[in-house]
Amino acid sequence: MKKGKRNSMLTSTQMILLYVIIVFCIIVGLRQPAFFSVATVINIARAAIFSACFALCEMIVIISGGIDVSFPAIGCVAMYVPMYLIDKGMGSQSAWFCFGVAILIGLGFGLFNSILIAVLDIPPLIATLATSSIASGGAVTIFGSHDYTSLPEGLQKIYNTNLITYVDPNTGFSYVLNILVLVPIIASIIVAFLLKRTMLGRGLYAIGGAKHAARVAGLNVRGLQFFAYIFSGAFTGLTAMIYTTLMKSARISALMGDEMIIIAACVIGGVRITGGHGTVSGTLLGVLLITLVQNSLNMLGIPTSWQRFVVGIIILLGTILTSWQTKRSLKAEKA
Amino acid sequence: MEKKKYGKQRDDHIVVLIGMIAAVLILMAFLKGKTYYSLSNLRSMIFQFPEFGILAFGMMVCMIAGGIDLSLVGIMNLAGVVAAIMIKNGSPIFLGVLVAVLIGAACGAFNGFLIGFLNIPAMLVTLCGLEVYAGLSLAITGGPAVNALPDSFKSIANGSMGPIPYVLFIFIIVALLVAFVMKYTTFGHEIYFLGSNKVAAKYSGINTLKVTVLTHMFSGILGGISGIVITSHLNSAKSSNGETYTLMSLLIVVLGGVNPDGGRGRVLGVTLAIILLQLISNAFTIMRAPDTMKTFVNGVLLIAALILDVALEKRNRKRM
Repeated sequence: MKKGKRNSMLTSTQMILLYVIIVFCIIVGLRQPAFFSVATVINIARAAIFSACFALCEMIVIISGGIDVSFPAIGCVAMYVPMYLIDKGMGSQSAWFCFGVAILIGLGFGLFNSILIAVLDIPPLIATLATSSIASGGAVTIFGSHDYTSLPEGLQKIYNTNLITYVDPNTGFSYVLNILVLVPIIASIIVAFLLKRTMLGRGLYAIGGAKHAARVAGLNVRGLQFFAYIFSGAFTGLTAMIYTTLMKSARISALMGDEMIIIAACVIGGVRITGGHGTVSGTLLGVLLITLVQNSLNMLGIPTSWQRFVVGIIILLGTILTSWQTKRSLKAEKA
Repeated sequence: MEKKKYGKQRDDHIVVLIGMIAAVLILMAFLKGKTYYSLSNLRSMIFQFPEFGILAFGMMVCMIAGGIDLSLVGIMNLAGVVAAIMIKNGSPIFLGVLVAVLIGAACGAFNGFLIGFLNIPAMLVTLCGLEVYAGLSLAITGGPAVNALPDSFKSIANGSMGPIPYVLFIFIIVALLVAFVMKYTTFGHEIYFLGSNKVAAKYSGINTLKVTVLTHMFSGILGGISGIVITSHLNSAKSSNGETYTLMSLLIVVLGGVNPDGGRGRVLGVTLAIILLQLISNAFTIMRAPDTMKTFVNGVLLIAALILDVALEKRNRKRM
């Protein structure tokens, strides 16, 4: 009995992912010894900031039995509109204003999504696809498309606040980790607590696993769906503003096409696309793996034109692996 | 009794579609009658819709089977790129077309196998598939588009017989073929059955794995054909042609009355939806509205179609 439990712990999705990540790091390290350095850690952490935030949003929605492909479009609108308003002299330069407007926009679209899905019963994939084209099409039509590359004062101040500054003794390059890296860390802790320890979180798992059973058991299915999409929308807005701050740019199509990689990160991290299963730690490991792969293909010497294909294959393999894992665990549950 | 209700519901949807087409036509007659109702405009519309229309049929087949195919655009471009490179290097056009169709079939079969054998949701497999196929075509071309194809290949989608473009014939043949398969073959009936109740289909002796693989293969073949049409039409092939067609084909299929959960849908409805969307898109072009507005309107239409579906279904249930 005890042995069985330990075995299942060693072969859980998280552990398998961890093995894959370690093996991958060793392979890259063998080819490029420079890979094992503080600089790499900082680079990966910086690259993973927004992926991790987006993945947390997506994870909550998928756990609740839905899917959200509209977050890139929502994020783009949320980062673009505050910059547009400031540029036109209609907003203040403070960070509160930027983040506030971005979160409100995200919240609005999240509400829109949840009405479509929870009230009108439209399948989530199609509803969020529609939201995505409404958001991006509408925003460009109304606001035009412009590249904003300078930050307002408030955001510039955040941009200049670094948590860690590391100067490579050999090359003299300095690597900085922005204070905003704390956002995904804090958010992960909050979301993990929410999912594991509160009625709200358990409710999300319940409606994702079996909607009708959850309703019969007395859960407010509609309310929980509303929460999932609105939370995801608002957090997407926040993340979009983080993106603008760190990248020093706001473009109306900056994030478009990211949904694929984020959903893949969740799925590789063991979030079941059919709902009801998934953990924060798994999702974060999924994000870590994908970020690692994306950022070290150059180090491995893979030409740029092949990178999309390689990433696609790795995602496909990850998906196959996790679904095989799911199949096995379903069998184990039955036995 | 059951059957009668079924037929009634479908008629409702088609009447609504015809009504919407009429509305667009009448509105445009008032706004820009002369340009809209000209032979050259009609011809330009016919040159445009077959490429995404054929894709939409692929999406339709998968959705009726209870799945979805988000990788169609990837398949289309992969098939287009390979065929374009072959034809440019001197192989006969016939061979290029055949290879494109085979690539479509292979990609589709691969999707179907993963979906049916490993039980991974279709949405996930085809989303990954899109990345893999698009990535592969990017890797093959190395970035730049494959241009300057021979004139004979160009004429597939740009030539016409008298005033009627060849592509119209291609489109009609494909539509009839899909309609025939869905309506009169056992395979077609199995697709509907699989989409309406997978478990029941399995226990009544249908080889669900085989049907899933064949369904996606069918869709992949349509993707390959569409790849030929779009490559010939644009006279160039690259990994990112027609990226908006995924949303477009989903919109068409749902607008055409296919149930997103599977089991219901007709070629006639989808064909009408294709025509409706082409009319709208052309109206936007003539009114010189920006492309982004088209995206916006497409999103609104998609939601409107679904709300309409829910409303129609509710009314029908009340009538029972």
